[in-house]
Amino acid sequence: MDDVLIAPDIDYLAVAPMIIVGVTAVVGVLVEAFAPRRPRRGIQLVLTFGALIAAFVVLISQAGTRVITGSLAIDGPSLVLQGLILLIAIVSAMLMAERRVDPAGDAFSPRASALPGSEEERVLSTRGFMQTEVWPLMLFAVVGMMLFTAANDLLVMFIALEIMSLPLYLLAGMSRRRRLLSQEAALKYFILGAFSSAFFIFGAAMLYGFSGTISLPGIADALSANPGQTPLIFIGFGLVVIGLLFKVGAVPFHQWVPDVYQGSPSAVTAFMAAAVKVAAFGALLRFLYVAFGGARWDWQPALWIIAIATMLVGSILAITQTDIKRMLAYSSIAQAGFILVGVIAVNPEGVAAVMFYLAAYGFATLGAFAVISLVRQDGGEATHLSNWAGLGKRSPVLALSMSLFMLSFAGIPLTSGFIGKFTVFEAAILADAVPLVIVGVIASIIAAFFYVRVIVLMFFTEPAEVGPTVVLPSVFTTLVLAISVAVTVILGVFPQPVLDLVEQANVFLR
Amino acid sequence: MNPENYIILSGLLFTIGALGVMIRRNAIVVFMSIELMLNAANLAFVSFARINGTLDGQVVAFFVMIVAAAEVVVGLAIIVTIFRTRRSASIDEPNLLKY
Amino acid sequence: MIGTGAVVAQTAPLLAPLNAATGIFQYIWVLIALPLAGAIILLTTGSLLKRWGHIIGVATVGVSAILGIIMLLEMMGRSADDRAFGQTAFTWVFAGQFDVDVAFQLDQLSMVFVLLITIVGTLIHIYSIGYMAHDPDRKRFFGFLNLFIAAMLLLVLADNYLLLYVGWEGVGLASYLLIGFWQYKNSAAAAAKKAFVINRVGDVGLSLAIMLMFVTFGSVTFSSVFANAGEASDSTLTWIGLLLLLAAAGKSAQFPLQAWLLDAMEGPTPVSALIHAATMVTAGVYLIVRSNAIYDRTVFAATAVVVVGVITMIIGAIIGSAKDDIKKALAGSTMSQIGYMVLAAGLGPIGYVFAIFHLLTHGVFKANLFLSAGSVMHGMNNGVNMRRFGALRAAMIITFGAFTAGYLAIIGIPPFSGFYSKDKIIHAAFEQSNIVGIAGVLAAGITGFYMTRMIVMTFFGKARWEDDAHPHESPPVMTIPLIILGFGSAFTGMALVYWGDIETWLTPVTGLEERELAIPTVVLEMLTLATVLVGVGVAIWIYRRSVPIEPPQKVSVLTVAARQNMFDDAINDVVAVRPTWYTARFLVWFDNRAVDGFVNGLAAAVGGVSGRLRRIQTGFTRTYALVMVIGVLAVLTALGLVMLP
Repeated sequence: MDDVLIAPDIDYLAVAPMIIVGVTAVVGVLVEAFAPRRPRRGIQLVLTFGALIAAFVVLISQAGTRVITGSLAIDGPSLVLQGLILLIAIVSAMLMAERRVDPAGDAFSPRASALPGSEEERVLSTRGFMQTEVWPLMLFAVVGMMLFTAANDLLVMFIALEIMSLPLYLLAGMSRRRRLLSQEAALKYFILGAFSSAFFIFGAAMLYGFSGTISLPGIADALSANPGQTPLIFIGFGLVVIGLLFKVGAVPFHQWVPDVYQGSPSAVTAFMAAAVKVAAFGALLRFLYVAFGGARWDWQPALWIIAIATMLVGSILAITQTDIKRMLAYSSIAQAGFILVGVIAVNPEGVAAVMFYLAAYGFATLGAFAVISLVRQDGGEATHLSNWAGLGKRSPVLALSMSLFMLSFAGIPLTSGFIGKFTVFEAAILADAVPLVIVGVIASIIAAFFYVRVIVLMFFTEPAEVGPTVVLPSVFTTLVLAISVAVTVILGVFPQPVLDLVEQANVFLR
Repeated sequence: MNPENYIILSGLLFTIGALGVMIRRNAIVVFMSIELMLNAANLAFVSFARINGTLDGQVVAFFVMIVAAAEVVVGLAIIVTIFRTRRSASIDEPNLLKY
Repeated sequence: MIGTGAVVAQTAPLLAPLNAATGIFQYIWVLIALPLAGAIILLTTGSLLKRWGHIIGVATVGVSAILGIIMLLEMMGRSADDRAFGQTAFTWVFAGQFDVDVAFQLDQLSMVFVLLITIVGTLIHIYSIGYMAHDPDRKRFFGFLNLFIAAMLLLVLADNYLLLYVGWEGVGLASYLLIGFWQYKNSAAAAAKKAFVINRVGDVGLSLAIMLMFVTFGSVTFSSVFANAGEASDSTLTWIGLLLLLAAAGKSAQFPLQAWLLDAMEGPTPVSALIHAATMVTAGVYLIVRSNAIYDRTVFAATAVVVVGVITMIIGAIIGSAKDDIKKALAGSTMSQIGYMVLAAGLGPIGYVFAIFHLLTHGVFKANLFLSAGSVMHGMNNGVNMRRFGALRAAMIITFGAFTAGYLAIIGIPPFSGFYSKDKIIHAAFEQSNIVGIAGVLAAGITGFYMTRMIVMTFFGKARWEDDAHPHESPPVMTIPLIILGFGSAFTGMALVYWGDIETWLTPVTGLEERELAIPTVVLEMLTLATVLVGVGVAIWIYRRSVPIEPPQKVSVLTVAARQNMFDDAINDVVAVRPTWYTARFLVWFDNRAVDGFVNGLAAAVGGVSGRLRRIQTGFTRTYALVMVIGVLAVLTALGLVMLP
């Protein structure tokens, strides 16, 4: 036994995108500490967009890489999902950077520690303070997400989960308007999130106890070596999957979703809804396919039930919602159910379909929340559905884009959502999960109802006397809308290049 | 002593923690219960490391402690803010978001 | 036994590969692109172009119509096996073994649909200029109408089921938006909702059928599905056939999904004419005829098609006899006539051609009837109650003339167009089965009854107008399309038989089979005509004197008198008419209560579940934790049950 510490062999180029974002996040913290207040926002914006774009460029240059380095697997799915996370992050950063729509500044509280409604808050607000910590927080969350999709052992997966979640707990509570709701969202998200990660890590302990290793391929090997059943396996598997299903927002671990989506600032909600789904589904896919792909017959029944419940509960509960953010939250639960259908397929088509669906859903969500952030009343957002009546008359372009996103969520042809649903259901049929597809079709029909209701509300209902105003945004939100509309249409009409991409990248390294 | 007893102990601690989250009203106590669950996992990891004869479990335990510390920072920040706003640390009180 | 079963002639459909689109046929996509561009311009420009919006709407559809006519002439100049063209715009989805192009197929079948859609569409667009002249949202109306035309053209020009599905959803969406166009009317909003819900049921059928085809054939293009249809198992084909029938029933308002059509009459009348009479509701017939290769191989599904068609044909006619609302009476009639088409389509090669033939003539004369009804409403303060019409023929002579042409066409008086197409269907029905044939003749008789009732109540008898009604003829922008459609009602049938030779034209797509009948065709035609005349006579007998303003069952001095009058005079009707009357009442009741009840009940049930379920979302963090723990225990139990032996 030699005492020399052997340095791990790491392919730094392959993990460079994560390093870039992570280091920039740390630099961002230093900027918060040392840079004067005035130029801080500018510096942070440059750092954030610079890091995200640089990471994306490096990622593209690494497109052919398929390597396991340390505890990370840089393979097709993780590269595609990391790229998707970076793109979504860039677009959400634009949404967060918007300063024109709120007369008092950006979407975030001038100082999260100031008491809501206090003199301090008012003074800070009038003096134009802004909380620039949101930028490094967001970058940390992005690092966590990227790591989450690539994590090849349970420890890294847990750490990534926490790096992703902790900044989001804080971001959820930083809204400038309706701060009580925002703080409540943060508290609920934090308590329940921590609760679920406790399940995750305890499950990981059980799996470690069974297999003697925490690496996912190692667990798969141990499973095939000892086919004998012990409670450790199913308890461990169940608890880890529950931790991941929580992040995805699957029933019955979904209850945080509506509260948190409604309470958080819209820009953060958009980021959470779009990017966390990508990361969490990436991790869920890897865990199920790499570690438990061989044992799929054991876990598929339980996940069938969860997928069915998720699709139905999400669709049904969305119908009676009166707040548009809350409605979209339930809709996101239903969408998670549809994506789960692709996950359960356990075939390469399923992986490709899930990745495509995530891209389609992510951008439509970003667009929808961008629209929400523009419809305002008395300074804050007008999220009650009745406020949206007659929006089509006031602002036809905005209402049409919102309609497009709704149609995409509903899975109407020629939008990205249709291709997404189709590929997911196709993968499920190839895996002989026909009943799941039938429930999916029925759920999507229920869901179509409330999506179309928004369209009808905007175009056919007479606007109220004192309706909300539609704010003209700066170039940031305009770009977000343009990108989301473009992606939604292009993925619906010319999905081929993206379908090719996800097809080529649908195999997990192990 | 049979190391498997430690696994049973960790299961008990975990259950107590989970019950605490559901039963206690004070946000700080709820939070402590979650920490208890994390530490139960740590105990399980260390015991399994001993049973399996591998070091991974001990390494994991260290990381979990660090993560728990980070969680404390974030969690206390949120709870304290809520406390300052509402003059109460009850977890049942923030109840505006529902249905 | 009238049909002898002996096959006289038989032609199989030509399954030749499509020709590459050259010459004028390179521009198939333009047919769709023009109205689509119009829709986009009209819907995105806000208050800009407000004064010229309708011109854009009419022009884009009109140019499409002209292009369609040029293509028809070009196609007629070619030989029969050289008339089908395929054009691929781009590859839409290509995933694994799955390959779908955005590709168009223009053959004899889609050609006639293109002409129907664009020509009738243009006329209705022109008519709408006048009809919607005072509506502040006229521009948006034209935008939706253009959107509909584009989607409908996509539906009939698609070369695969998935693209057809795109058009299918598109027309559904446009129809939904247009039914609810006057959303401030609660009834319109409710009608739109009902149409939406019922149509989604049909859409489930189509999407599942497409999935099933994909699994079975690995492709969803018409050509490869039809070429390989013989290799699939019987049960698979039957399932596909039944699912497609479900889709067709939803879109074409066939039993048991017929209920939405009556309510859809809440939309503006041009919409009823274009979408809910001439084009969209016939999409189901198109779907069945297009899928002939599947129905030819599954007797069960084909029989189901016939049964659905017969049931709808009869109940539609009966509903048409009972409604006092002129548009709803026409809607019942539409259901009934589409029932004829579906019935014919279910007969297989005996009937496909005649289903399409009747679809074309019906598209023209029903549009004519609806637009005439719209013109009447226009002159009568938008009233629809026929009990408040009467004696209008003098006040609106052009409308009366057009309506009469449509009337003679639908009841099938030679040489008006309905005579040719409906008799062909009845003939084909007898070739297959006596019962179906007799049902066809019977429905023709009821058609004679309700149409005569309609024309008598509206244009003859005494004036029973509202006090403030001042009937007047509509402006030329409305009457000119009426005149054109009136001539169309008169001559389309003849033109298609003698000049267009519709049978030979469509045979390469659908195949054709003729069987021997024991009696000469002329006798059958006379029999049908006699039945129709009986229906006409009964209607004249009942409504010859006066029509009570209130429906007979309500009590008032006037109605009691009128009712006495009516029933005293019609003692011998008791045997024939009363049962019909009660059946009609029952059907109307059934439609209003049971079907509405079902749709509303379904919505209410989902809403109720939703309302209950959301109570679980208490807002208390600890409840959420509790639900999570319950979930954990459930998941672990489920896993344990599976994993532990």
